[in-house]
Amino acid sequence: MTQHLTWEQISDCLIEGAVSAHANECGSCRSEVARFESALTNFRGSVRHWSDQALSNRPERSRSALGSRIVSTTIPARGMYSGNEIKAGMSSLLVNAAIVTLLLIAGTVQPIQKKLMDYVPLIAPNLRPLPPKPEVAKGGGGGAQNSEVTKGKLPKPAPREFVPPVQPVDQPRLPMPATIVAPDMPTLSAQNIGDPLGKLGIPSAGNGLGIGIGPGKGPGVGPGSGGGVGGGAYKPGGGVSAPIALVKPEPEYSEEARKAKWSGSVTVQIVVDENGLPQDIQVTKALGMGLDQKAVEAVKRWRFKPGMKDGKPVPVIATIEVNFRLL
Amino acid sequence: MDWNLVSDVAESGEAYSEGIGDFDSLVKLHRPRIFRFILASLRDPETAENLTQDCFVKAYKARERFRGDSRLGTWLMQIAANLVRDHQSNSRLKFWRRSLRSHVDLSDACDCVADQQRSPEATASAKEQVRAIWNAAADLSERQRTVFLLRFVEDMDLLEIAAVTGMKEGTVKAHLFRALQAVRAKMEELK
Repeated sequence: MTQHLTWEQISDCLIEGAVSAHANECGSCRSEVARFESALTNFRGSVRHWSDQALSNRPERSRSALGSRIVSTTIPARGMYSGNEIKAGMSSLLVNAAIVTLLLIAGTVQPIQKKLMDYVPLIAPNLRPLPPKPEVAKGGGGGAQNSEVTKGKLPKPAPREFVPPVQPVDQPRLPMPATIVAPDMPTLSAQNIGDPLGKLGIPSAGNGLGIGIGPGKGPGVGPGSGGGVGGGAYKPGGGVSAPIALVKPEPEYSEEARKAKWSGSVTVQIVVDENGLPQDIQVTKALGMGLDQKAVEAVKRWRFKPGMKDGKPVPVIATIEVNFRLL
Repeated sequence: MDWNLVSDVAESGEAYSEGIGDFDSLVKLHRPRIFRFILASLRDPETAENLTQDCFVKAYKARERFRGDSRLGTWLMQIAANLVRDHQSNSRLKFWRRSLRSHVDLSDACDCVADQQRSPEATASAKEQVRAIWNAAADLSERQRTVFLLRFVEDMDLLEIAAVTGMKEGTVKAHLFRALQAVRAKMEELK
């Protein structure tokens, strides 16, 4: 007996449809070929069966395919509205017009209008940071009114101002006496608020800036700036801390004084502002020989930790003694 | 285009080319075969029907070019094979559709194993084999599948297949060999 069939030979048998001589003799080879043949026959059967079923499930097409006389007529292509485009367009227009008219009529009805009036719109608040307020720490000033401050009763002095001294309102609901930031002052019995030393005239809080009284700036009384009477900076003590010198450049000796071997001390009074810078430098005790000027130049370059009141920096008056000694 | 057109023209007494003769009887004769081939290739009865229709419309339009070199059935099958190839290249991107369809229709096709008074075991085994062949056919390339179906479903010989596909006989044989190898591999998995 010859060798068994290879897969190539079996495929050849299947492809050509011919049976080799060996397959006729060898049982195992014959059964192998038969196995594939039967599988392929089953496959063919299944395809044919399926195809026949699929064709028989579509009788209407088959019938027309099999030559029954059917005269084809050209049916014009119809759009979305089956040829009723004009009717559809008109009805759409009517419906839309009706809706708009209904809304307009509804707007004229009283109850709807009332409902709309009751509606409170919420507008998103402006969350940008507020612009910095102008510094109002100095002296007294009126409410920027046109006329000068008139003679009147000075409001009660208080360490903090809750209600600025404005002209009285008729029967306030929650009365609170107006105050100014100032030490105790002589009282004056009068109807309106004003400076006890001011002039008579139409009631006015003065033409200064700020919320005090008088022509100055700030919450105090008078022409100065900051709190207190007559204006000016705070003085250390009583809740106001003294400024602390941080940078103290030494003063230079003037040529003239050096030659003359002049020594001594110059007393300078300054106002240390909120930023710790010396302002309003005044020589209170002079020494001469150009040393006063040198002392002022040196003090100008000094830097301070500002004096504090209620945790906030305030302008505070300070006195500095500048010593000039020759070694 | 509908079947009506073909039928109407066929009935209207227009002159046909000599080789074709009565187009209606031609449709009647070859339709099941063409439909079967396209159905087995695409596994979608709906598309198969449409393409069968297209095939006959094309044949009708090109009837004057039929020179009678080959059998009419071969010529029609050639048109059908071209249509199947065009359809597959057009719908290559429709992956989801194809995969869904093949999944559904495979069970449909396997249930169609002719029941020839077999035992339940034999029927089940036959169904498994058919399923394996369907799976193998699905994995074949378009050319291999066409050649495979023409040979083992339509029972065409190698020369006819060569005429339909435009390949040489040796190429057809090589494709058939690879197709059978795939079938064998799937059937081995059953064991």
